Amino acid sequence: MTVETRGLTKQYRMGDENVVALDGVDVRVEDGEFISIVGPSGSGKSTFLHIVGCLDAPTNGEVYFNGARVDYKNKRSLVLLRRQFIGFVFQTFNLIPALNAVENVEYPLYFTKDKKSKSERRARARKLLALVGLENRAGHLPSELSGGELQRVAIARALANDPKLILADEPTGNLDSKTGQSILDLLKRLSTEDKKTIIMVTHDLASAKRMGTVIGILDGRLQRL
Amino acid sequence: MMELFSLASRQLTRKKLRVFLIVLGIAIGIAAVIGVTSLGEGIRVQAVEQIKTSHDLTTIEVLAGVEADTVTLITDSKARAIASEAHVLFAAPYVKDSYVTQNNTYLAVKGISPEYLQIHGHSLQLEQGTWFDKTAEGTPMPIVLGYDVAKRLALIEDLGIGDEFTAKLRLYGEEGRPLDKTTVFAIEGILESTGDEHDNQIFVEITGAMALDEKAAYDGLVVKVDDPAFAASVRAKIVGIGLTAHSAQDVIDEVNRLMVAVTLVLGFFSGISLVVGALMVVNTMIISVYERTGEIGLSKALGASDFDIMKMFLAECVIIGVIGGIFGDLLGIGFSVLIDLVGKPFLINALGGGMGASLETASITIITPSILVAGFLISLVLSVVSGLYPARRAARLNPLDALRQI
Repeated sequence: MTVETRGLTKQYRMGDENVVALDGVDVRVEDGEFISIVGPSGSGKSTFLHIVGCLDAPTNGEVYFNGARVDYKNKRSLVLLRRQFIGFVFQTFNLIPALNAVENVEYPLYFTKDKKSKSERRARARKLLALVGLENRAGHLPSELSGGELQRVAIARALANDPKLILADEPTGNLDSKTGQSILDLLKRLSTEDKKTIIMVTHDLASAKRMGTVIGILDGRLQRL
Repeated sequence: MMELFSLASRQLTRKKLRVFLIVLGIAIGIAAVIGVTSLGEGIRVQAVEQIKTSHDLTTIEVLAGVEADTVTLITDSKARAIASEAHVLFAAPYVKDSYVTQNNTYLAVKGISPEYLQIHGHSLQLEQGTWFDKTAEGTPMPIVLGYDVAKRLALIEDLGIGDEFTAKLRLYGEEGRPLDKTTVFAIEGILESTGDEHDNQIFVEITGAMALDEKAAYDGLVVKVDDPAFAASVRAKIVGIGLTAHSAQDVIDEVNRLMVAVTLVLGFFSGISLVVGALMVVNTMIISVYERTGEIGLSKALGASDFDIMKMFLAECVIIGVIGGIFGDLLGIGFSVLIDLVGKPFLINALGGGMGASLETASITIITPSILVAGFLISLVLSVVSGLYPARRAARLNPLDALRQI
């Protein structure tokens, strides 16, 4: 899936101050491309990810998925876009503590409403866990898994609805460098083998460079690197 | 749908103590309502049973029907029609007249048919003398005195069994002029005291009475049915032809209405404790929304709609309501047994007499299936309604703000 932003601008008020998080960002991400966005804290990179992920609306500018403009005023269509096309991976994993690994992977399928039977969904969740190398951990609760394992479960969960676009917000931020590298390798594999378009936000420039295209953001503007 | 609830129960089992406390809160409220309602129901049933033993439920009193300006008289043909209805054993007509003796003692005279005695025979027992038979035409007219009338006549007029006396019946002619008719009565029997209106009446054969008073219709009809179960339908038919009907069912209906009203009021006030339970649900669910703000944001990022989020929280409320309802019912049964154990000796003392004695063997509380179903439904509806606001709040969370909470 191609993702294109045109003049993406986001301003919000914080107290009396007017903060410009994004200032006219134009980006084009090709189908199956792995793009890393790097920048210091507060540079607007997370805001960019949230807007592309249909969790936040831009003040100005447009986002196009495969050439079709995202209508940020239509809440329902945002839900459907998130449900059908987007998978999220977070820095803090965000697994649901009450559910075990395989149930966490299955969780987004509760919302897809595609009439898959319970056993079909369970089978899919197990397949995805196998894909991230955790088939033996299916029955474990999040509290029983290591950081790397948690992020692998989270990636498997992001794949549950077979999204075309994966948005990863500092996926290695809470992991040691070795574990972080294995997570990055996993994401890279998804882009090369499964043709997933991946946009990752990170502040680790070195590892970002190994993944593919890198875009820098500083004070809400694109920086050529 | 099943998964929605299995997910909800998973969430709830992580907070067992909290869920236990809410369920207990709701259950106590439900139990209070059930206990009070079962007491109201128990007393209602006892009162109705009492009426049934002291009243004849197979007897219907029929009077002329008055509706707006039209009066429907009990004509002979109507009486026959009623008598020929299914399940009607007798339809005993009577007329009532006021006579006055030469010494100006007023007499309430009731002209009755033999069927009347068949209906009231068990209470109209002769103290002395005999009943008149059907051939009692002309003068002197044989009469039977009620207990009190007999005493009065003996005292004032010095009349007793076997005596004859003259009495006047005043009629009004077509021009409104009074027309007195004189007749001679012969006292043939005196009744034992019945304790009701019969003590003040004089009984005479109906054909003779109607020959004197020139009435074209009966003043009343006593209808006897073969089984109390058919009293209502027969009564409805009587009312259907324009007449007025009274029966012990009226008293029972009155008691039922009163007790249902009393029970509703008591139930309503005991239901105030349910408000506490509801507030607990609201409070706990709001806390839960705060605690799970991140989870809500995550779910939205993963494709959950507002309605999906709302359903997740409401499903938890449904589970709380179901468990609260079941425990409330169980606790309510226990509460009702307790009321019976503790309250009954007190009530028997307070009531004394017949009502108290009849309570000895019975229970003052009654749990009906509908009380339990109502208790369960109240718990369910209460939990879900209490969960609406927190669930809506959860559903409306901005996914981005919610995610930042993690």
